[in-house]
Amino acid sequence: MLAVSDEASLTSQAASRPILQVKGLTKFFVRSDKSVVPAVDNVDMEVHAGEFVVLLGPSGCGKTTLLRCIGGLEKPDRGTILIEGKPVYSSQQGISLLPEDRHLGMVFQSYALWPHMSVFDNVAYPLRARKTPRTEIAGRVREALTMVGIPELEKQYPSQMSGGQQQRVALARAIVSRSRLILFDEPLSNVDAKVREQLREELVEMQRKLNFAAVYVTHDQEEAMALAHRIAALRKGKVAQIGAPRDLYLTPQSLYVANFVGKANALTGKVIGTQDGLIAVATAAGQLNGVPGISGLEAGNSVSVVFRPERCSLSIDPSPGGNALQTVLEASRFMGSYTQHTLRTSAGTLIVHTVEETNFTAGQQLWLCGEFDSFCVLPSE
Amino acid sequence: MPDGRIPGRNFLARFQRGAAAHTGLVRALAGHIFMSASAYFPFSSGKRSIRRPSLLAIISYLVVAFFAFLAIYPLFLVLLRLVYSDGRFDPAPLLLMVTQPDVGRLLFNTIVVVGASSLLALIIGSIMAWINERTDAGMGLLSEALPLVPFLLPPIAGAIGWVLLLSDRAGLLNALFRKMLLPLGIEMKSGPFNIYSWTGLIFVYTVYAIPYVYLLVSAGLRNVDSSLEEQSRICGNGLWKTMWLVTIPAVRPSLGAALLLLVWFGFALYSVPAVIGTGAQIEVLPVRLVNLLSFTYPPETAQAIGLGMIVVLIVGGAWLLQTRILAGGRHATVGGKGHRMSRIELGRWRWAARSVVLAYILLAAVLPMIGLMLVTLNGFWTPNIKWGALSLATFREVLFEDAVTVTSLKNSILLGIIGATIGMAAAAIISLFVRERGRGVGRVVDGLIKLPASISTIVLAVGFVLAFSGPPFGLNGTFLILLLAYLALYLPQGSVAADAAAAQVGNELTEASSISGAGPTRTLLRVSLPLMLAGLVAGWALLFVRMIGDLTASAILAGTNNPVVGFRILEVYQGGSFATLAALSTVLTLVSAAIVVLMLVVTRRSDRSKTAIRAGG
Repeated sequence: MLAVSDEASLTSQAASRPILQVKGLTKFFVRSDKSVVPAVDNVDMEVHAGEFVVLLGPSGCGKTTLLRCIGGLEKPDRGTILIEGKPVYSSQQGISLLPEDRHLGMVFQSYALWPHMSVFDNVAYPLRARKTPRTEIAGRVREALTMVGIPELEKQYPSQMSGGQQQRVALARAIVSRSRLILFDEPLSNVDAKVREQLREELVEMQRKLNFAAVYVTHDQEEAMALAHRIAALRKGKVAQIGAPRDLYLTPQSLYVANFVGKANALTGKVIGTQDGLIAVATAAGQLNGVPGISGLEAGNSVSVVFRPERCSLSIDPSPGGNALQTVLEASRFMGSYTQHTLRTSAGTLIVHTVEETNFTAGQQLWLCGEFDSFCVLPSE
Repeated sequence: MPDGRIPGRNFLARFQRGAAAHTGLVRALAGHIFMSASAYFPFSSGKRSIRRPSLLAIISYLVVAFFAFLAIYPLFLVLLRLVYSDGRFDPAPLLLMVTQPDVGRLLFNTIVVVGASSLLALIIGSIMAWINERTDAGMGLLSEALPLVPFLLPPIAGAIGWVLLLSDRAGLLNALFRKMLLPLGIEMKSGPFNIYSWTGLIFVYTVYAIPYVYLLVSAGLRNVDSSLEEQSRICGNGLWKTMWLVTIPAVRPSLGAALLLLVWFGFALYSVPAVIGTGAQIEVLPVRLVNLLSFTYPPETAQAIGLGMIVVLIVGGAWLLQTRILAGGRHATVGGKGHRMSRIELGRWRWAARSVVLAYILLAAVLPMIGLMLVTLNGFWTPNIKWGALSLATFREVLFEDAVTVTSLKNSILLGIIGATIGMAAAAIISLFVRERGRGVGRVVDGLIKLPASISTIVLAVGFVLAFSGPPFGLNGTFLILLLAYLALYLPQGSVAADAAAAQVGNELTEASSISGAGPTRTLLRVSLPLMLAGLVAGWALLFVRMIGDLTASAILAGTNNPVVGFRILEVYQGGSFATLAALSTVLTLVSAAIVVLMLVVTRRSDRSKTAIRAGG
């Protein structure tokens, strides 16, 4: 419910000027063998006020480089970056503002707390650097520390604190100067799983409350889902797809996105024809119908039919009105909140998750059934 | 952040890094050994944004230019002088490289002493490093501080101490041994040991070479995950076989770096052979070289330069050899996350292992110090100490009465303070400059400044005579020429300490400062410098100790107009009382030790408040 109302409110804001605009941004890296690779390749994106955008991708996809370009820690080779409508980088106009002049907040992967300063001094640093009146500083530092839930730690030193607490200090330092855009570089990857989940929830809550725009880099798709209004899935420096988490999950536009965001089964085949907005695909395991992931698929195209393990069911007899695949059960494994079944078909191995426990036996013939719109047809890669 | 290590560890690591990497050359090759332990980013420099040319940048350029000149110009003159002097082509020095009398014998002597002591030091130093890193026989701070021995007791003081202890007839320790042998019916007039011998010379070289091996091999071992060894033992290989098959190959780069360091150190070491070698009538290259310049009139500069080139060639050869050792690259420093060091339990062998380390400390520091103290307090050198008549008279003479000695002490301490301060400030600026400029310009500047002293301190000192003694500078016999020479000679060591300090400041720490709205100057003053401070203090102490204990440059460049401790010690050794010599050495040792200990206290305190954050990188 929350997600839906968030999206609705964002649509109304979309008319307003975006906080961050990136246009045609390109950054090359020269490898040690002198070959030149684009780390960020002609990226366009916008982030609106109060919007939480996650840059998602495997390591080496350019997400951190993109973030560092926005922060001014790295100098792009081409393109434009506008923050609140003002260019902070423009290759055409020859503008390249230093990081200190961009008025941003940033949380680093290593927290980057200065070990020789107390928590108070760490958090007060951006205020002092930006010449905030002395009388205001203490109040604003305490406000920020209260916001992140550690008002009692202001006299401590970073080395005396746990990873989770350090992360909170880093967060307080990022929000204290009330920047309208805050950058996050995998900030939760160094804390352990339990704390990570808690911090994630708090971060969402705080972001919605303070209403800053956030650009957040991670390689963890679950984290991305939990945090983002929109996810930008990056691939080799390019934006493969940008959209709400549920769009990326349910209607991925490429096999890459389908595989990176959640688990996916994929069967290869050829398009036979289209009917009522559905595409019929011949696979080695039989015909499957699905919705097209991209437009323009024609008969004869090589495609993959992609579907999620939990969006289909297993039964002894085929159920009518959807896709049905004949399979042989190889193994069932109880995973706690679901049961995972490995199934063999003539086109390869598939995975199905069922919520209820089943009493199928290995070697049993089963029908894998699912609604047509749970199957997505994507071009082969 | 419980680290499980003693609090002083950070400091020691910093200090040792500076102490060990005597040369830029070694640093460049063994850099990964040191750097992989600390927060270091392979792309550090490439990821910085351009900055306005600030006052800071201008100062950096000036400092870099000045020190590059100071290092390169003298070396250039040495090379030029090989084939060119008095305005014409004159290859005399080049020819004298091979034709000067008994050059073969000199070379042979030097190679035997350096070779034998290096081999011994490699074995003993590695064993001690293994004991400390891989077994439960480590002794905390005592083992960690072992590499500091040469700084607590400068080589010249150690050499004189051993002369006092093991001289054939008058040696205090020899006398004690003779007394102990007497009840067994063995009567001796001299011996049983004689420091003035091949064995004695090799022994003292070895004592001073061990800390370098220990340091580098310890660092190497620390970077090799002990699970590699455990894996080998689980596969069925015993302790010794594992050591042979896994441990030694894994630390081969460290051993290579240590070997290069020892050759470099051995072929430039003047103090020990000047005292012991001269007494034993074993002449080595550095001693002859200094004699040709300082104790021959008129100075035989051409011959000295010829000899200098031999040193350069040998160090270059060692360097090539070491690159070959490293070339395989299959012994990359291994280790995943969570470096866990499990230690081998030695059981009843534990104290045997500890006694090896304790014996070393006894031999390297405690015994020579006792020798120096006894002779000083006794007033003259005799094996029959009058225990009731010990007095501080000799100290008083050295510290207050003997005019030349007093001046030399004052000069040395003043030079140490000024030199170390300028040196460390410059080293910090250069190191930040190099970090900023990154691979291209940065590397070149780094190399330019460090290379000459890396080739050989003694050759650089010769270059200083050529460059600054005569016109146009005319600095012969001045305080300034010593200051400049000390700076050029020891800046590389300061630089290594400053580099290590700068590497501790993770890039994200300065980036976080820029993002927070701070300009370069604020970032420097509030973030970089405070974080580097402990490392810079350690570097300062290192430079100070090196400068006041210097003999190489002092023997060549100091004189009666500008006496310093090193020069005065040589003078007294050639024709003064041994009590004065012992007193002067003791004072030198006490000042050095006091500074090192003081720095230990200061840096440990600062470490306590801000233990390095592991994730800081």
